[in-house]
Amino acid sequence: MRPMGIGVATLTQPDEVLARAKNGDQAAFAELVREHQAMVYSLARYFLRDAAIAEDVAQEVFIHLYQNLASIESPAHVKFWLRKVAGHRCIDCARRQKSQAVKSSVSLDDAPEPVSLFEMPDSMMRSTIRRFVSTLPEKPRLVVTLRYQEDLDPTEIAQILEMPLNTVKSHLRRSLTILREKVVRYLGEPTF
Amino acid sequence: MSKFDFDDEVRLALRREEPSSDFTNRVMARIQAMEPSPVVNKQRQQEKRREENNWRQKLADFFRPPAIKGAKWAMAGAMAIVLIAAIFGVTRYREHQAELQQQAELAANAEGQRAKEQVMLAMRIASSKLNVAQRKVKEAGQRDEGHPEAEHQ
Repeated sequence: MRPMGIGVATLTQPDEVLARAKNGDQAAFAELVREHQAMVYSLARYFLRDAAIAEDVAQEVFIHLYQNLASIESPAHVKFWLRKVAGHRCIDCARRQKSQAVKSSVSLDDAPEPVSLFEMPDSMMRSTIRRFVSTLPEKPRLVVTLRYQEDLDPTEIAQILEMPLNTVKSHLRRSLTILREKVVRYLGEPTF
Repeated sequence: MSKFDFDDEVRLALRREEPSSDFTNRVMARIQAMEPSPVVNKQRQQEKRREENNWRQKLADFFRPPAIKGAKWAMAGAMAIVLIAAIFGVTRYREHQAELQQQAELAANAEGQRAKEQVMLAMRIASSKLNVAQRKVKEAGQRDEGHPEAEHQ
């Protein structure tokens, strides 16, 4: 069953989809959501380490997009906008979570291990990498996620996060060094 | 572990994942539960504004004078004349004010002169009276010196 008349999209051209969504066509907007949901959701999930919270954040990002469709100029702008807003929302959400954790006086040691939240079958190496990515500070974590999930180059990341290019490069370099050291310490020197 | 291999592992570890299958429907349900779309709202506002503008335009057209050839130059000429007249008027007004002020100063000076003359006259009169009184006192003094017995009797 497909509620609210959201049918299978027959639209093919991204420009046309965007134009129709801007004119209030909800089926076209649903198509936009379907096209970009994996990107937004994954950014939130790798950043926040919680699938349910990541879905909430991703939904908020799309609702925000719906409210700001008039300012979107092109399909490339949609992607840029979504990455930027998703990044900001993730940082806000992480800060809220942190302050709530402090208020409720729950020890961080009692919190479940982030690795347990990733349920899909995966190699030990990859789940360990995800676990250690989630322990990076906010900005470097976002930089690493955008670099490796979205395959963006440092210039694009600098534009999205409104950050100097050298800072992005330095975050990437340092984060990779830290990740490699932690993975090696945790799993031992890989044999491949 | 080579850098290239580790990069690949990170890339594979952070590959995109799909959210739950009803994600799009839930987003659309939340959107439909909200107020009408901002796009639709904006369109409605634009239509309303267009209607208002139509009404104002009609009213403005009604009161607008008929177009005349060269009206632009005539308007510019009229504006120039008005500007020159205004400058001339301001200059004349200032001159007139200056004249009035000069006259007022002259009148004030004349009044002062008249008051001065009156004061001088009053002083002259007072001086002559004092002279008379002084003379009478002197005469009385001389009379007393010439007939001292009259004083004892």
